[in-house]
Amino acid sequence: MKRPHGYLALLVSLLFLPGCYYNETEDRFAAKTGYRPIYASYEEVRTIQTLVAQPMRVPGKIYIKDNYLFINEVDRGIHIVDNSDPQKPVRISFIAIAGNRELAVKDSILYADNTLDLVALNIANPRNVRIVKRIEGAFPYPAYPAQTGVMFECADPAKGVVVRWEQTDLVNPQCFR
Amino acid sequence: MKKSILFFALSLLLGCESSKDTSVAPGAGVGGSMARFTIAANTLYMVNKNSLRLYDISNTADPKPGASIRLGFGVETIFPYRNNLFIGTQTGMYIYDIAQPQAPKQISLYQHIMSCDPVVAQGNLAFVTLRNGTTCRNGANTLDVVDFSNPASPKLLKSYPMRNPHGLGVDGNLLFVCEGDYGLKVLDITNPLDIKQIEWFSDIRTYDVIPYRKVVVVTGKDGIAQYSYADPKHLTLLSKLPVE
Repeated sequence: MKRPHGYLALLVSLLFLPGCYYNETEDRFAAKTGYRPIYASYEEVRTIQTLVAQPMRVPGKIYIKDNYLFINEVDRGIHIVDNSDPQKPVRISFIAIAGNRELAVKDSILYADNTLDLVALNIANPRNVRIVKRIEGAFPYPAYPAQTGVMFECADPAKGVVVRWEQTDLVNPQCFR
Repeated sequence: MKKSILFFALSLLLGCESSKDTSVAPGAGVGGSMARFTIAANTLYMVNKNSLRLYDISNTADPKPGASIRLGFGVETIFPYRNNLFIGTQTGMYIYDIAQPQAPKQISLYQHIMSCDPVVAQGNLAFVTLRNGTTCRNGANTLDVVDFSNPASPKLLKSYPMRNPHGLGVDGNLLFVCEGDYGLKVLDITNPLDIKQIEWFSDIRTYDVIPYRKVVVVTGKDGIAQYSYADPKHLTLLSKLPVE
C-alpha cells in the first residue's frame, strides 16, 4: 500500500518542479546539449569583397552617412544603400566582411570589425570597396558562445577563427560558461 | 498664443540644429544607440565587453591605436554628445569628458539595476532604456530620463514602464523607442516629467532607430522601415526593405 502513495507523491512533486525552476534554470536545461565552434581559416575571414546587392536576412545595426544608409548583415557584412530618396532606397552593393557587427564612417573611410581585426575601408566607390588598413588583433579571440550557462567544445585558435557556434550534442565537452 | 508661436519657431530652429548635432565630428556619419563604434573629433571610440579603446583617425585611412580604458563589465553601447561620451553598461551609465579626445576622463557612473542599456542624450537629458533580456537578466523594462545638468552627479528624473525596450533615438521633442517584438513607440518629450505616447506601431519588430533629417530609419528582424516625422503628430511610412 505504501508504493502507490510514494509514486503519487513523486508525481505531484514532479508537477511542481518545472513551475518552480523553469525560469531560473532555463539555461542549465539547455546545457544538456552544447555548442560547437565552426571555424574558418584566418585567410578566409580576412578576405573582404564587394559583391552585388545581396538579399537581407538578419539585419543588425544601421549607420547613416550623407545619402547612404549602411545596414549590417549580422556576422556577414554590410549592405550599402543609396538613400537619396527614402521613399525609394536602392541597394547598390554588399561588402562581405566575416564576423562584422559594427561600423562607423568618416569622410570616405568605413571602419568595421572583421572578427579579430579592425579594418579601414575606402568606400569612395561603393561598388569597389578597397581595404586601406587592417589592425590585427584589435578584438579578442571569440573563445565562447554568446549564451551563458552552457557547455561547449573549447575553441582552439590553431584551428582558425570561430565564425559561429552550432548547437549540437556534445561528447564530454570541457568548457562551460 | 505668442508663447506657442515663439516655441514653434524655436523648435523649428532646434529641429534643424539637432540633425546636425547628432554627429559630433565633421565628416562623420550618424550611428544608432546600440552602436559600439562611434566617432568624435578625430577619434574612433570602440567599446568592447569591458573596455573603451581609442584610435586616432586624424588620417582617416591610417587609424592608430591609442588609449585603452577599463570599464565595468557588460559594456553595451556608446553614444557621443557634445563633449561627452555616454557609455551604457550592464552596471550603469558612464559619462566621460572628451574635451581632450585622446584622453577621456570619467566624470560619473550613474548606477542602477543590471540591464541592457542603450543611451541617447539631448540638452541636459539622457534617455536610457533598461531591458531584461537573456544575456542581461535581472533587469526591469523601463525608459529612464536622467538629468545630467551636473554631469558629475546625474539624477533620475523619472522612470517610465516599457515592454521590451532596445534602441532609441531623439530629435527635438520626439523620442523614438524600439520595443523589440512589440514595435516602435513615438513619444512626446516636451515635458520630460510627463512623457506622452503619440504613436505606437506594433506591427513591426524593432531593434534600433536613427532619426535623421525628419526621417526615422528603423532596423529589426523584419528589415528596414523608414518613416517621415515631418508631421510629428502623425508619422508616415516612406518605404520598407524587407528581409528575404
